[in-house]
Amino acid sequence: MLSVQNISKAFNRKKILKNISFSQKEGESIVFMGRNGAGKSTLFRIIARLMTYDNGSIIFQGKNLLKVKPIHSSKLFYLGHSPGMYHPFSAIENLNFLLSLRKIYKDQSEILDVLDQFGLMESANEPIGVYSEGMLQRLKIVCAQLMDWDMILIDEPFSNLDKDGLDLVQKHISFWRSQNKTISMILHNKNHAENFCDRILTLESGIIK
Amino acid sequence: MFLVLLKKELFIELRSKELILSMVVFGIAIVLAFSFSSNLSRAVVINYASGMFWITILFVSALGVHRSFAYEKEYDAFSMLVTAPIDRGLIFLAKWVSGFIYLTLMEILIIFPFFKFLMIDYPSNILIAISTTLFINLGIMAVANLVSGIAMRSNLSEILLPILFFPLVSPIIIAATKISTSVMLNDSYVLWEIWVLIVGSIIIISGLAGYVLFDYLVEE
Amino acid sequence: MTNYFQKKNNQWSILVIIILSIINILNIVYNTPMVPDQHWAQKIFYVHVPSAWIGFLSYFIVMISGFMYLTSRDNKWDNIGLAASEIGTFFMALVLITGPIWATPIWGQPWVWEPRLVTTLILFLIYIGYFMIRAYGGYIERMKRNAAALGIVAFINVPIIFLSVQFWSPEIQSHPQVEMAEQPSEILSPFIFSLIVFTMLYTVMIRYRVYVINLNNGMNEDV
Repeated sequence: MLSVQNISKAFNRKKILKNISFSQKEGESIVFMGRNGAGKSTLFRIIARLMTYDNGSIIFQGKNLLKVKPIHSSKLFYLGHSPGMYHPFSAIENLNFLLSLRKIYKDQSEILDVLDQFGLMESANEPIGVYSEGMLQRLKIVCAQLMDWDMILIDEPFSNLDKDGLDLVQKHISFWRSQNKTISMILHNKNHAENFCDRILTLESGIIK
Repeated sequence: MFLVLLKKELFIELRSKELILSMVVFGIAIVLAFSFSSNLSRAVVINYASGMFWITILFVSALGVHRSFAYEKEYDAFSMLVTAPIDRGLIFLAKWVSGFIYLTLMEILIIFPFFKFLMIDYPSNILIAISTTLFINLGIMAVANLVSGIAMRSNLSEILLPILFFPLVSPIIIAATKISTSVMLNDSYVLWEIWVLIVGSIIIISGLAGYVLFDYLVEE
Repeated sequence: MTNYFQKKNNQWSILVIIILSIINILNIVYNTPMVPDQHWAQKIFYVHVPSAWIGFLSYFIVMISGFMYLTSRDNKWDNIGLAASEIGTFFMALVLITGPIWATPIWGQPWVWEPRLVTTLILFLIYIGYFMIRAYGGYIERMKRNAAALGIVAFINVPIIFLSVQFWSPEIQSHPQVEMAEQPSEILSPFIFSLIVFTMLYTVMIRYRVYVINLNNGMNEDV
């Protein structure tokens, strides 16, 4: 599904990623761990084509992601730290926009149903600028649930969540794994990591240990 | 996909109403400043009116375009656009067209105060005045969005935008002032045809450059 | 990395340039005719026009380097672009200084809105913005991309900027002496010689500047 080969990245000439290479089979879940500043988020942003790289290649579903048009990465979905949505728009409006960007057409009832599962039904029509961090985190997972992807990159899916939120997200990740979806996550908690992945890769000083 | 992006740009403004309001207020403030600071007779003001108008538009455009890109930075909304499977040049096109719409709306709202405060008559050929103004707006917004794309992720984007924008837009300002003055004076089209061609060239060059370069500019 | 001045080729090229530059200066001072009404001010022409040529050539190289950097992501192109932008801006500043000095005896005032001068001024301002992008454009790798894009945008606008200024004030003619085809040979020959010397000087300058940039980058890598 995914093959990352010799990816390097420097910021102000300081190498953050040094010839990172790994492969991920279809249906496999990998958790990336490491200290702050190890380069985990940077690696995800490069794979998601949000950030440039210095050298290397990323092959996703047989195509070199960095040399083809973005349309070829339509089955790859990225959820970063930040909400990645427009604060004047409501949850429904943001979701409708993001779905239409990927040419996915969903009934409003289906969107509302997922929002309800995550406890966001009451504030579905409010601008997300008034949402708390926990609500935004839930909204991101709602977005992932609605999108059509074969592989997802999630940066810290459990951050800012209360116990109910944690349970919900864990349930959905388990569901995705049962659907043979390919999942890559960044986590800091080893217990979470061991429950939700087939493999743990630790990034330290820009290399995978 | 272009329509999806354009709709997003327009709906954001409909929801927040930050852009048009700030552009209109800023525009009127500049017109007022011109009125207070130009201790000139009415006959002289008429000669400078086109220049004053387009300088106002210039400042307002810089403000508007900066704000338009600021939406993308808040909550890192831009990351969703950039990681989506879309042609990134369409993001530039959507910003260009939406900026053109906002600028035109703003001009509709300040044109009346502009003429009244400076005590000058409206052009006799309204249709030509409107069509040339719209054409020039397209040019200004093409350059503004292109420059904003370059300065967007910089540390001093608010300062860099006008510093880069104003020299690059100078041919349009020259052309705009010439066209507007000719229209106000009812000159024959042959006399100002070259300026229309210049603005047209800038629209094509900046539009193409923006469409192609945006792919390189949006990534971090 | 070998010291630049230790290479025989470089030593010879610097020596040749120094000799040619001295010959050029002496040629301009002693060999060129004194034009009536302009006297010594006219001799600035032999520096002003070649400086403008070098400035525009340099900015053209910035545009090409920018394009090559964006497509290949090879840092050598960014280094060439940076060197060319610095040297080009230096020569453009020279044009903006020598232009008014030359203009004063011709038009009676140091500044007129002559199309070439105004185009130079606008381009100069754009490149001040280019250096600001280099200084404040974010982390180095992103800054290089932004600077490359600006370098492309800046130069592709040059014909438009020139045309618009030219048509803006058609009553202000370019300095008559800039019309090369009409010049007598005693002016044309030293001018061409000066142009060649300036171009050779530029080649040496840019090669050395690229060397210094490479040295600087090499010292800062793998921190």
